[in-house]
Amino acid sequence: MNWVSARLPHQTLCCLLAGVVSLSCATANADDSQAALSAIQSRMVKIFGAGGLRNLYSYSTGFLASPDGHIVTVWSHVLDQDRVTVILANGRKETAVVLGAEPQLDLAVLKIEREGLQLPYFDLEKHTSGVPGTRVLAFSNMFKVATGDEPLSILHGVIAAKTKLTARRGAYEVPYDGPVYIIDAITNNPGAGGGLVTNVKGELLAMIGKELRNNESNTWINYAMPISELTPVIKQIMTGDYVSQETKPDAEDNPLRYQPLDFGLLMIPDVVFRTPAYIEVVDANSLAEELKLKQGDLILFVNDTLVQSCRELRQEFGRLEAGDDLLLTIRRGDQLMTVEARVPRKVTEE
Amino acid sequence: MSFLRILAVSFFVTLLINVGLIDTGTLVEAQESPSLSELEERAFKQAVALAEPSIVRIQTVGGLDRVGQILTSTGPTTGLVLTSDGYIISSAFNFISKPASVLVEFADGRRFPAEVVATDRSRMLTLLKIEAENLQPAQAVPVDQIVVGQWGIAAGRTYSPEVPNVSIGIVSALNRVWGKAIQTDAKVSPVNYGGPLINIEGKVMGVLVPLSASANTETAGVEWYDSGIGFAIPLEDVYEILDRLKSGEDLHPGLMGVTFRRNDLTEGEMVIDMVRPDSPAYRAGMRPGDTLVSVDDIPLTRVGHLRYALGTHYAGDVVPVTFSKGDQKTETTMTLVQTLIPYESGFLGILPQRAENSAPKTGVHVRYVYTESAAESAGIKKDDRIVAFQGEPVTDYESLWKLISRERPENKVSVTFERGALKETVKLKLTATTEEIPLDLLDEFIPPPPADEVNENLPTGFTTIPMEAHNHEYWAYIPADYNPAYEYGLIVWIHPGGDTMEASIAQDWQRFCDRRGIIMIGPKAAKINSWNLNEAEFVKDSVLDIQSRYNIDSQRVGLHGYASGGSFALHLAFKYRDVFRAAAVAAAPITEAPPENDPEYRFQAYLTCGDEDAVLPKVDATQKIFEARKFPSVFQIIKGRGHTYPLSTTLEEMAIWFDTLDRI
Repeated sequence: MNWVSARLPHQTLCCLLAGVVSLSCATANADDSQAALSAIQSRMVKIFGAGGLRNLYSYSTGFLASPDGHIVTVWSHVLDQDRVTVILANGRKETAVVLGAEPQLDLAVLKIEREGLQLPYFDLEKHTSGVPGTRVLAFSNMFKVATGDEPLSILHGVIAAKTKLTARRGAYEVPYDGPVYIIDAITNNPGAGGGLVTNVKGELLAMIGKELRNNESNTWINYAMPISELTPVIKQIMTGDYVSQETKPDAEDNPLRYQPLDFGLLMIPDVVFRTPAYIEVVDANSLAEELKLKQGDLILFVNDTLVQSCRELRQEFGRLEAGDDLLLTIRRGDQLMTVEARVPRKVTEE
Repeated sequence: MSFLRILAVSFFVTLLINVGLIDTGTLVEAQESPSLSELEERAFKQAVALAEPSIVRIQTVGGLDRVGQILTSTGPTTGLVLTSDGYIISSAFNFISKPASVLVEFADGRRFPAEVVATDRSRMLTLLKIEAENLQPAQAVPVDQIVVGQWGIAAGRTYSPEVPNVSIGIVSALNRVWGKAIQTDAKVSPVNYGGPLINIEGKVMGVLVPLSASANTETAGVEWYDSGIGFAIPLEDVYEILDRLKSGEDLHPGLMGVTFRRNDLTEGEMVIDMVRPDSPAYRAGMRPGDTLVSVDDIPLTRVGHLRYALGTHYAGDVVPVTFSKGDQKTETTMTLVQTLIPYESGFLGILPQRAENSAPKTGVHVRYVYTESAAESAGIKKDDRIVAFQGEPVTDYESLWKLISRERPENKVSVTFERGALKETVKLKLTATTEEIPLDLLDEFIPPPPADEVNENLPTGFTTIPMEAHNHEYWAYIPADYNPAYEYGLIVWIHPGGDTMEASIAQDWQRFCDRRGIIMIGPKAAKINSWNLNEAEFVKDSVLDIQSRYNIDSQRVGLHGYASGGSFALHLAFKYRDVFRAAAVAAAPITEAPPENDPEYRFQAYLTCGDEDAVLPKVDATQKIFEARKFPSVFQIIKGRGHTYPLSTTLEEMAIWFDTLDRI
């Protein structure tokens, strides 16, 4: 401020600043962060629905995306009824309706029924991204501990990973196939779905997802969907332009367009659950023979997807289409080899 | 400006800042210094980046889909580079499915097939080898530089091949799980098993593994994932055992072969209760009653200390040990072993004649020779007298048993016997104890006592004997011709819940007792419909009581029971190993794990069950446990019988078996 620099000589000002900054770093951080936290809390809501089946909890979290009371949350059984109860940060109780939802994104947008509100809200265009190691804060009404006008619960942790949950087929039962943040904190508790993940500066990162288990390792994971993935659809729902996406063509279960025999490969008998994909016979004058594949080769990757068994090999071949690139990585003894080809048009027998 | 004035103004400004009158935002922005939080975040990311070239991704192909109750996971797992030419360490958990093929991937996309070299089953690590060069080995932090409370970053490569997934925590404790592991509160789970626990400088403190203090399988400890307890084996320790693993030999926890009176790890006394025959402890000279002073130069004052001293040792390690017998202290070494073989006594193949008490002790007279036994093939016959074993003189049954019980089946020994004027020494190979019951065995005749020596105060026949201390009583049957000059066998009848069966037992067993020289007693439960475990002492005291009144052979004290009574009988047999030598039970499975076989406490079992009895599978399982522990046992399945007390044909066989308890 001007009166300070006008009253004190330059050198003294520097000493002063140096001393003060080190003293004030801690206090400034505390003040700044308290202000940032309050700002976030004022834009969060607690959601209570009638619930799904009797024993399931019927509460979750949401955050305001417009001054008129649009609320972003997870698509879950909490929203089964048309109207839900929403409690604002100041403790006021309102009713809200489900404006639109996109189950593929686990996303729902609600609208508070009362008109003319001027509520504090998040500008969803202002979001950021993080990497593994980025410190985060997670805001949610887990276990519905916060009641009335009490602020939501805050967790701290770091981003553990950024990944696609559907990278391992069958590992997770979740429709959302975009990237998620895996959080190194127990964020995904009952009621936390729809909560917010920010970095330590309070910048928006992601929305907390639902409770989810990895079917393979039987472990629970804590994941959140990046705001950047959700914003386009949120905006469309808010303006009424949104039409739910049709199911994508390759969401069909287990197509069987191609089989190993189509390439001239006979695999070893598939007797146990995870019989590895060893080649038993290579047909003469076939694509496999051209690629110099041999009996005893172990097929490991089909186009960069690991095939851990004959069953998975058949599934991968089943998804191929004529004209696709075909990259096979095989193990022969101690060596790995990659062979390349183009998927030929199927010859129909007549 | 004077210094004091500067100080005063600084103070004033700080005050104003705290009160909020000056917007510190501008002051801070002008300097652009990051907050402590941001600095730490930067440090986490840089530490992981430093360690990253040594972290690999492991994929497996094929293998079991289920190990025990666990569905094995198929996702990518993590490993650490140890040498530049391709030795990689990972968690043994990642290989429980016994995959057909293992692949190692680096962040830059390079893939290598890997061979499993060896597994450390104590620290739960698996060593792999790939053919590569110029790899970057993980840098280990010396164990003595790891401090509780410092940052610990757990990293894995499950989610993404390019960027490691991380969990931030601290070092919670050191030397956990019997000295093996660093404990951290970073989230440790299958997403990072096999990966590194990194310090804030980017060096590796340890390899993440699931561990449990109480169990030792590959999946022990997995249930603690993400719960605030995670373990890492110090990388420095891994480098120390690397050469041993490279040789291809699996490493196993090392055992020494002693047990203590109570299994309580906080127990104060290091007094040895049992020493397994042939174990490292036995070979080092330790015996029951000795006090264990130190192992591996670690002084021991609690049993827990011993687990800690042995925790980081493997089978094959030579470990210094100090123990004392009274005032005498011995310092020596012992070589630990992977498994302790259950004790099993060698079998000669004879039954001894039971002599009158006052008979001269001149060796063991042979009453019967088992068919196809070592004795038979060596030419020993009935009425021969065994006078020496392995050159040691044999005066009576006890001395012969002491010598033979030290020998294992298949051992070659020499036996000296006399037949009339002939004295011969034969060499023979002992066998395992036979399960044959010689149905043609004649009973040993016990003459009635001379008329003038009959004790009127000692009742015979059926009688009831009170136990004042227990406010209870037991019935007893003593053969009418009871002769105190001879030792009698003792059968303790344990009735099933709901029925004392006193009358039927009396009827069935009287003639066996008379013929085979057996006294029988039947303690009754306080509440007839079931036995209470607290009544075990009452039963034991009944036995001691009858032993004080009549002349009973301590080698032939056994229990007999049916259904729940039989299970209680087995419980009693193992609770009072110094009292009971045998148990013959019908339709009665065991209800707890039996102890180890011990030459000091000889135990034999006769199990029988109807083939239509619902408990047959459990009785079968009991038999298998006895077999594994090497308790000599007979298992008779009766065709066409359900859940009922055996018929007298079976009882007769049981009585004969009981008569042969002193076979040797």
